[in-house]
Amino acid sequence: MTTALRRLVPPASSANPVADVLRTQVREFLAEQLAAGAFTPSVDAWLSGWDENFTRSLARQGWLGMTVPECYGGHGRSFHDRFVVTEELLAAGAPVAAHWIADRQIVPSLLKYGTEEQKHEFLPRIVRGECFFGIGMSEPDSGSDLASVRTRAVRVDGGWAVTGTKVWTSGAHHAHAFIVLARTAPMDSAHRHAGLSQFIVDLAAEGVDVRPIISMNGGHHFNEVILDEVFVPDSMVFGEIGQGWTQVTSELSFERSGPERFLSTFPLLAAALEQIAPQGVSHDIEMGRLVARIAGLHHTSTAVADALQRGEAADVSAAVVKVLGTTVEGDIADYADLRTGDESEVESSWADLVSHAVDQRPGFTLRGGTNEVLRGVIARGLGLR
Amino acid sequence: MNATGVRTNTPTVDRELIDMMEAVFAGYRSSHDSGPADARIDCDRTLWHRLDELGLVRLTGSEQSGGSGASWRESTELVTAAVRHGVRLPLAEHDLLACWLLEAVGQDVDDAVRTIHVVSRPGRPQALTPWAGSADRIVTVWRSDDGYRVADVDATEITIAPGHNLIGEPRDTISAEVSGWSGHPVEPELVAELKRKAALVRAIQVCAALDCAIAASVEHVMSRSQFGRPLAKFQAIQNLVADAAAEAAVARSATEAALHNALETGWLADHLDFQIAVARSCAGHAASVVTRNAHQVHGAIGTTREHRLHEWTRAALAWRSEYGSVRFWDRKVAAAAAEAGSASLWALITGTD
Repeated sequence: MTTALRRLVPPASSANPVADVLRTQVREFLAEQLAAGAFTPSVDAWLSGWDENFTRSLARQGWLGMTVPECYGGHGRSFHDRFVVTEELLAAGAPVAAHWIADRQIVPSLLKYGTEEQKHEFLPRIVRGECFFGIGMSEPDSGSDLASVRTRAVRVDGGWAVTGTKVWTSGAHHAHAFIVLARTAPMDSAHRHAGLSQFIVDLAAEGVDVRPIISMNGGHHFNEVILDEVFVPDSMVFGEIGQGWTQVTSELSFERSGPERFLSTFPLLAAALEQIAPQGVSHDIEMGRLVARIAGLHHTSTAVADALQRGEAADVSAAVVKVLGTTVEGDIADYADLRTGDESEVESSWADLVSHAVDQRPGFTLRGGTNEVLRGVIARGLGLR
Repeated sequence: MNATGVRTNTPTVDRELIDMMEAVFAGYRSSHDSGPADARIDCDRTLWHRLDELGLVRLTGSEQSGGSGASWRESTELVTAAVRHGVRLPLAEHDLLACWLLEAVGQDVDDAVRTIHVVSRPGRPQALTPWAGSADRIVTVWRSDDGYRVADVDATEITIAPGHNLIGEPRDTISAEVSGWSGHPVEPELVAELKRKAALVRAIQVCAALDCAIAASVEHVMSRSQFGRPLAKFQAIQNLVADAAAEAAVARSATEAALHNALETGWLADHLDFQIAVARSCAGHAASVVTRNAHQVHGAIGTTREHRLHEWTRAALAWRSEYGSVRFWDRKVAAAAAEAGSASLWALITGTD
């Protein structure tokens, strides 16, 4: 007799007819946009598809900042509704990078930790698709080990002077602001997570230098942001001084369980149905495995979204989605690549999708917490550490 | 919360009922071991009668027909408890498949132990029938000139060649000469429902077995020390267990989603066949990873008859291949995807047109 296993993932959700209506609305909108040539479906479009026009057209539909209460200019919708909309956008390969960070991470963070002034300052503009954000967590010497950040914030008259270097800040060359994790007290090796704080930093402020980090395929999404005694007024302290670690980690479930953790290459999988020997696909067991896995992750991710809606902790279940989801994203890139090359003429749109997917693939299992770190999170959830 | 955020709560099963199921199987296993490895298991009639007295062998049958009037949710708990304790009985075949079908066509159901047999089409290889040699009656479905028919046949009237699966459960070959039988007509929809139910039962059993294999792994790596510390403290070990647990969790999500949809639509949703194929694919592939990793962290002790790990790993491997191999279900999913095409693949996955 063995003890029963503690559930890692909440129970699968029941049917949700209201959400199905919303799903259909988004799908119809996307079909119209596609027909009008507003976008070309692409792989990893939540990182690389920066299109402010498309973002504003989503805002007009009421699909940005959906969970923002009406008093801050939002729509007062549920987290589950937002989940449905983002799933549809990603499955279609729509260009959503411009608002992605603001909509996914900054909205729930602001709602939880922001001051009234900050909420009124940023939320209405995020909802209208007019304010874009970046994230300033990683540093040249701090990747997975975030507590080791060296960016410092020093108390000055009326605020803080922030100095340090942030890396991998997606979209910093377009965005208006980013949230910076900085040390406000010296590192105490016995309490590594203490003394960290968050600040909202205006990317146009004096002392901010945004330098491109060009990806291996020539793409420009990432940046290095160098902060040289950048003045941040007290009004832009995010949350509480000294609570940075708690704030950062409490929001990670939103970042790790979303559909962008298993749908980054979905447009490629869909296109493969028509590109790879159409008569052979219906017998291709690897295609079956991949589609089944995406479908399974859709159910898991939905269950996590519902847990987040109920305010439950979801760090472990989010890690499950991200470990398996980002792995299958890469498997899809490989599946397509392994089956391309024999035809003398390859459609250029297909070749572009495949090469983009192959180039983006290494990032899938790194960004937002490496899979190695996330396996540690799962192991902790199982009581192993 | 906004009205659109309200979700129907999935009904939960009474805790006392689950505890009672646990207690019966735990008590049984305290006085019965898993038996010799190469033997074919028989249905333990003493245990069966005990379960019958408790109203558990026809858990989902209607009360008018002598059943307990419960649902598949309760039955899932019963099957899961049996898996956890390594107790092998034709509970699902009897209640969820054979007696359900008899009731559905308006036939009486008595106390006999039953199993289900679907006669293959002429020229097709005959599928193995679970528990045929241990059952009193075999509910047999066949295709006649004017549609499907079913008969509740006395097992002694049928030639049964005994066999068994990897864990010793009877998987027998039946030679039924149906040409002389009259039987009762069955709508093709009911036969399709029977096949869905049979496939999903095995997914539920595989998920239960995988969770047990992982729980055993967690227990083992916490208590076993090497190089001066518990195995659980090694990152390499943590990774093996974490990967296994993640696989099993997704298989469970897919299986639960299929079951919810089945119960909410009375097993009639168009989407159900795809969802069940997805569940079987996910559970089948998860079984590979969980079996491999659970045995790896257990070391050589996990490969012995004495250790109980095999009661879950071998069971998962046996069940994932029944009512369709993993390859069969992968092809079902691939065929559905190909039929949907690029533009509708996502609609297929979400089940919304």
